[in-house]
Amino acid sequence: MTTIERASTARPQWRTRFGGREGLIGWTILAVLILIAILAPVLAPHSSEAIDSTRIFAKPDLSHPFGSDDLGRDVFSRVLYAYRASLSIAIGSVLLAMIVGVPIGVFAGYVGGWADLVLMRAVDLLLAFPALLLAISLIAILGPGNAVALLAIAIIYVPIIARVVRSSVLVVRGQPYVLGARTRGASHWAIVRGHVLPNSAGPVLVQASVLMAFAIVIEAALSFLGLGSQPPTPELGLMLAEGNNYLTTAPWVEIFPGLAIAVTVLAFNLIGDGLRRSFDPHGVTR
Amino acid sequence: MSDSLLEFRKVSVDYAGRGGTVSAVTDVSLTLIEGETFGLVGESGCGKTTLSMALMGLLPDIASVRGRILFNGSDLTTMTESQLRELRGDRISMVFQDPATSLDPTFGIGSQVADTIRAHGDVSRKQAKDRALGLLAEVGIPAAAERYADPPHRLSGGMRQRVVLAAAIANNPALLLADEPTTALDVTIQAQILDLLADLQRRHGTTILLIAHDLGVVAQICDRVGVMYAGQLVEVAPVAELFARPRHPYTRALFDALPSGSHQAGALRVIAGQVPDLAHAPTGCRFKDRCPSRLAECDETPPLAMSDSGASIACWLDPATRAAGGLGPLAIAGESNG
Repeated sequence: MTTIERASTARPQWRTRFGGREGLIGWTILAVLILIAILAPVLAPHSSEAIDSTRIFAKPDLSHPFGSDDLGRDVFSRVLYAYRASLSIAIGSVLLAMIVGVPIGVFAGYVGGWADLVLMRAVDLLLAFPALLLAISLIAILGPGNAVALLAIAIIYVPIIARVVRSSVLVVRGQPYVLGARTRGASHWAIVRGHVLPNSAGPVLVQASVLMAFAIVIEAALSFLGLGSQPPTPELGLMLAEGNNYLTTAPWVEIFPGLAIAVTVLAFNLIGDGLRRSFDPHGVTR
Repeated sequence: MSDSLLEFRKVSVDYAGRGGTVSAVTDVSLTLIEGETFGLVGESGCGKTTLSMALMGLLPDIASVRGRILFNGSDLTTMTESQLRELRGDRISMVFQDPATSLDPTFGIGSQVADTIRAHGDVSRKQAKDRALGLLAEVGIPAAAERYADPPHRLSGGMRQRVVLAAAIANNPALLLADEPTTALDVTIQAQILDLLADLQRRHGTTILLIAHDLGVVAQICDRVGVMYAGQLVEVAPVAELFARPRHPYTRALFDALPSGSHQAGALRVIAGQVPDLAHAPTGCRFKDRCPSRLAECDETPPLAMSDSGASIACWLDPATRAAGGLGPLAIAGESNG
């Protein structure tokens, strides 16, 4: 049934890979945002940190499309620059968590037994801490800053990633094709690399995209509390925190960074949805 | 007499579980001769698959193997994991029951055949691919080059089993273990796969150990047949002999239970009673509680003994078994009913 349907519609390979229309929109938004972050110095019409006493709380106009903040800085330019910190923390923290969490999950799931028990209890311990509390205590020790926020979020994510990987590895490990590979003389290492990882990648990649969206929010929360990026560095969460005071008098200071966060989270979520579809090999949810 | 390729010597497999030890296979002794197709039959749970996994060295950790499994004279039970790995897929390979799940869904079918070739030889990617294409063609995959990169779910069950077979014979193994290779397929495809197996056997001289619960499958391609019941090997006979004169009461009961055209519509004949719980296996012959001609001796385990016809039976009713067990001939067959 599926075979016939797939063969006749001849869906372009690249489009399926990216997870259909939704995934494609998500990847496009993300690509645009990353470009914006990289090209911020070229794109920004004004300096992100230049204070202009004549433009305090100036309304949006053509040259300053997002208006100006309490120090007369151009909100549009600041949002463009803010994507640098926000995106690198979102992507970096999840990558770091995956570098640590995926091996833990694969090892625990594939080896099982005592290794599984010990590793998963350690992971549970980490998981039992409230995420924000963990981040705040780490920042209390290491001091605030972007790198520390990235590290803190990564530590929050390690147990989540490890758990997701472990559960999918447990499923894959029991598949007959793994036993089949062993009867064909494959070593454990070859099986992990050649069969277990590719077949358990789906759920963790979906999870990763969702976690990236969350990272933006956590990071914004940390900055909101004054524990993430430090002023005057433009950062979306920090801008949200500052704009909060002037919501009634100059809403644009608050609204535009908020929208910028929303767009980013949306992009990651769309990517997650797309990935989930493309990793479903039989196209049940298609 | 031809050379023996594989020899099980008093092989027993125990599973240690919470509810005690389950002896899944007990004292199985069996010799496979090079080039033959040997069928191992028996109902579910009788130890056929456990025996084959013991042979591959792929039993779970909770299982313990006693006895010796000699392959070309070397004992598989004492080999290290890396020695076994060199044998697996190269000298000994295996085909499983369900072709739907024995191929990795993420990769193309061809590369999975090529992987087996590359696992056991210093072969370039290109060479492995060429050989894999040849193998796919040999097992009857039409347009193998176009299907090479297709994931398994684009193939039908029969085609997938052909791919599995291609991977199994990729390195020209001496022994091919086929664990119910046709059970998951419908009857016409089943016949095709059996033909293919017989054909590959003829061309490569591979020894095949075919595990089945279907006597029809066994009749079609096997030279000799072993019948297992509750972990014990109860009868070994040339296939024609077994079908003409089943000796062991269990084998006879199996043939009686086969539905045939001559039966009037009605209840199927079944073997009374149940397979014993192997966690508390009875001593002696394990079929005794279901046997229509039970003797007093049945509390002792009957040895598997070869009779004049070339068949070996482990039953106290059989003269050869009685001689091997040191008992005199049976006075009147079936005199005592336990």
